[in-house]
Amino acid sequence: MKMLEVRNLKKSFGDVQVLDGVSFSVERGEAVAVIGPSGGGKSTMLRCLIGLERADGGDILIEGEPLMENGVYVPDRRMRKVSAKMGMVFQAFNLFPHMTVLDNLTAAPIAVRGMAKKEALEQALERLHEVGLSEKAGVYPRALSGGQKQRVAIARALMMQPDMLLFDEPTSSLDPQLTAEVLAVMKKLVAKRMTMIVVTHEMGFAREAADKVLFMCDRKIVEQGTTSEVFDHPKDPRIRDFISSIL
Amino acid sequence: MAQMLFDIAVLLSDGVKYTLGIFVVTIIGSMPLGLLLTFLRMNKSRVSRGVTGFFVYIMRGTPLLLQLYFIYYGLPFIPGMKNVIVLDRLPAAMLAFVLNYSAYFCEIFRGGMLSIDPGQYEAARVLGFSKKQTLLQIILPQMLRVSLPSIANEAITLVKDTALVTVIGVTEILYFAKATVNRQANFTAYAVAALFYLFFNYLMTKLFDYLERKYDF
Repeated sequence: MKMLEVRNLKKSFGDVQVLDGVSFSVERGEAVAVIGPSGGGKSTMLRCLIGLERADGGDILIEGEPLMENGVYVPDRRMRKVSAKMGMVFQAFNLFPHMTVLDNLTAAPIAVRGMAKKEALEQALERLHEVGLSEKAGVYPRALSGGQKQRVAIARALMMQPDMLLFDEPTSSLDPQLTAEVLAVMKKLVAKRMTMIVVTHEMGFAREAADKVLFMCDRKIVEQGTTSEVFDHPKDPRIRDFISSIL
Repeated sequence: MAQMLFDIAVLLSDGVKYTLGIFVVTIIGSMPLGLLLTFLRMNKSRVSRGVTGFFVYIMRGTPLLLQLYFIYYGLPFIPGMKNVIVLDRLPAAMLAFVLNYSAYFCEIFRGGMLSIDPGQYEAARVLGFSKKQTLLQIILPQMLRVSLPSIANEAITLVKDTALVTVIGVTEILYFAKATVNRQANFTAYAVAALFYLFFNYLMTKLFDYLERKYDF
């Protein structure tokens, strides 16, 4: 069964159409990079998948369970349950500034999953170790660099043991050096076969790490395929223009 | 001289319990009420927003002194209320203060809510927090932190505003100061009263300095 199936997704903000019939699917363990020019609908598409935006039409199925069918979302309680299989990492990190790094990680498992505090702490320290930030457990987010914040945000998302992680331009607000440390953590996740959808402008990452690439432009997925299909043998001229424009 | 100041201080200290009583009741009553008003004022319902907006307008738009008069002297004059609402001086004063300050706290808290990054709600949502958990664990702590300097401002103003209740005969510090001044034909008691207020506000300043340091994230 597919981890995620999206069919004919449509979304408008007022009169402005942002998504016009987007369809794709993601297999378990697959890393999918979503690339394309700004304003092409990439972030909106991602946000629709987890219910931060309400799409107007189409189907979204998570492991065969509908989140939206024929443009109608399932009831809120059901939606929370289905979307709990997904985690999300934001461009702006969105750490909780009033909590230490450790509390950022443990708050949701304790409050939402009812995990025992001791167990949550143990897991949080493990996750922090994985992203290389064990020594930052007690500090507040303010004291972290952008790259460190994003690694904490990834660790926080992993605490909920999602089946799939969505990344919304996770390195777009970071300088190259900090970008590299965040991408390194993401590559580790790819190596562990975490199912991921990554909206990104990092072509290097998309080419190296992704199993599949979606090129979005003008409200649609113009092309999708393996990295070599999309990068080396693109059928649509817009892809060539886009890639040459950012290199 | 020192003996005289001390004697005056003893006289005025009879009023301290009313000054502090009004202060404490107003803080305890108006902050939760203010928070409730904030939610009503930020509610989706236009009626809810309109009604709370009007309440805040009236409470901020008229003098607190007038509100004191109105609640103590005026309520019984409303037709049909003659023997229904007759408040003693102290409860009337407290009611007026709680209502008035709740309007200010409503706006302070609303400002605090508006300062919170929408990304905080989104992060909470994708982590699975319920609306109530999001409010209690994520939003309110940040909102209160942002509001702390304004809350301090209100608390300090409130210490001084308690002096207003002397006009409806509540026997707080200023009431005794005035009586003393009249009896002694000497202004010294007013100076002593000023020292009382300065002392309480010194404590307020220290308390809020401490809170701001403690919740410095």
